[in-house]
Amino acid sequence: MTVGAASISRPVRERASRGLWRDAGRRLLRNGPAIVGLVCILIFVVGALLAPVLSSYDPSVGKLVDRMKPPSPAHLMGTDLLGRDEFARVLYGARLSLQLGTISVVFGLFFGIVIGAAAGGLGGKVDALLMRIVDVLLAIPGILLAIGIVAWLGRGQIQIMLAVGVSYTPIFARLLRGSLLALREADFVLAGRSIGASRLRLLVRHMLPNALTPLIVQATLALATAIIDVAGLGFLGLGPGDPRVAEWGEMLTDSARFLQSAPYLIFFPAAAIVISAIGFNLVGDGLREALDPRLRR
Amino acid sequence: MALLEVEGLLVRFRTHDGTVYAVNGVSFQVDEGETLGLVGESGCGKSVTSLALMRLLPKPAGRVEGGHVRLDGTELLDLSEAEMRDLRGRELAMIFQDPMTSLNPVLTIQEQMVETIRAHTELTAAQATARAVELLGTVGIPRPETRLKAFPHEFSGGMRQRVMIAMALALHPRLLIADEPTTALDVTIQAQVLELLRALTAEARTAVILITHDLGVVAGMTRRINVMYAGYIVETAPTAELFAHPSHPYTVGLLHSIPRLDAPEGEPLIPIEGTPPDQRHAPVGCPFAPRCAWRLPACWTTNPPLEPLVPGTPVVLTGDRATHRVACLNLPTAEEAEAGMPLRDGFVAAPAPGSVVDELATAEVPA
Repeated sequence: MTVGAASISRPVRERASRGLWRDAGRRLLRNGPAIVGLVCILIFVVGALLAPVLSSYDPSVGKLVDRMKPPSPAHLMGTDLLGRDEFARVLYGARLSLQLGTISVVFGLFFGIVIGAAAGGLGGKVDALLMRIVDVLLAIPGILLAIGIVAWLGRGQIQIMLAVGVSYTPIFARLLRGSLLALREADFVLAGRSIGASRLRLLVRHMLPNALTPLIVQATLALATAIIDVAGLGFLGLGPGDPRVAEWGEMLTDSARFLQSAPYLIFFPAAAIVISAIGFNLVGDGLREALDPRLRR
Repeated sequence: MALLEVEGLLVRFRTHDGTVYAVNGVSFQVDEGETLGLVGESGCGKSVTSLALMRLLPKPAGRVEGGHVRLDGTELLDLSEAEMRDLRGRELAMIFQDPMTSLNPVLTIQEQMVETIRAHTELTAAQATARAVELLGTVGIPRPETRLKAFPHEFSGGMRQRVMIAMALALHPRLLIADEPTTALDVTIQAQVLELLRALTAEARTAVILITHDLGVVAGMTRRINVMYAGYIVETAPTAELFAHPSHPYTVGLLHSIPRLDAPEGEPLIPIEGTPPDQRHAPVGCPFAPRCAWRLPACWTTNPPLEPLVPGTPVVLTGDRATHRVACLNLPTAEEAEAGMPLRDGFVAAPAPGSVVDELATAEVPA
């Protein structure tokens, strides 16, 4: 067998740079539980987006004739006390949960990053003052803080987003500040200073991107808790405040008294809450593993 | 006028455990294009001295509490942070010990190099990229156009240190401080990186301060050496002179504690007994006295200044003809330096005076 000159020469290991995120994405897709989580989230998001396509029923209008029907081909998940289609209500509830959960996490993330970056980047008195405020907020349990804010501002979707978002702000702020403090001592930051990079540049370009991965993981996990918190507020009677709007927590409250006669009414919204929360949790954990610097190579 | 003039530099760290006397009045000069070695054990103040020159001491603990640092006549210690920032990278640059952690892991080499170049010049992004490619080629990285887009984790340690060198030399600084640049590298890679550093700085007539604890590295790389101990320069001489006539007991000890290929078989290594002093105490007497085999009673109370080895010689501070100066009250003779121990009949190192013994004894007892 003849061997060509090309195959004798040492193979040059030349691959295009894949980048941190593509590496992480690949690891995430190799992680079994994370795949399960992704599927859960996919079901949740597709259900929310395609609600009008998947169900022809109006979630806020029902026929009293059809009230309290068990699941059937016409009503996949049965109907509630007012004859509204439970399937449609779960789908539109997903819409609301996705919207409220995402916006409140983004809200919390935004203020958390601003506060954390100011504290970790500026240090000194600013840091001390901001962190004491954060400590006070952290001392109050998140859901209690959220209840307090809704009780204070009144019921409504914006109030819920504010309430849940504010209860996450201190967590994000503290996490980012911690990462930034560690990064301040990092060699590459010192190296950056030694070639004349400004403080702002070091913070924005060198430290923040390195501090982002724990925030991303935490934000994904926070989405799970946000969905539960929003439902919890609804369950406690602090939901959007509009009885026509389908909200998983309020659906639970409404059906709780029919637990024995119509268990399906409580089963489906509860299952929706659990599946979506588990989905974000699994993906969050998967992301944590995929982005772990100790596994990065 | 020398390029860099350091005069009576005092650096202290204020910590919860008290003040650390890190650098205690260090003076030296570096000429344009000169390569100076700073040698000493860990913790002797080499790195702190260099960070103080760059004004990069960790704040708020580390403070320059006295002295002058002049670059080309400009007092660096009086500059504002913004003025200093403008000088860093452009006039003076630094290479750090660990190339694995000195590059930002989330940015490509290109992003980091272009950023450095553009921070100090008017070049466009495209021009800066072209310059980065050129620099990577200069430091011997194959296929620089492709490698420029890689992330630091896709480079080996030696390649990363080359990138660090390329970045440090990107703007033709006049002074480069290399803090243990090869300590983290394999021996074979060490030689390549050192040779690269030597060639590039010699070509551009960049002055280099090479910090190392590796006497082999300074022997090959530098023209002149400052030996540091406990925040003092205890001996300074042109490299060849220092290796030929080591005169401070500490330098003698250092040279005898490394194995040599040309030593007679079976010759024992002579380690320096003891450990460097606890620098949380204000220095009294010669800092090396507790470990010194040549110490006299006066060594416990007097810290001698750097004096020419041959008394009365006019002092030359820089260059190959720099005066060999040493800070010692009881210089080892040439034979003693060769043997690594005092050879005088009946000579016994002076015992510590009572107060010092007590202080050492109490220091041993855990609180």
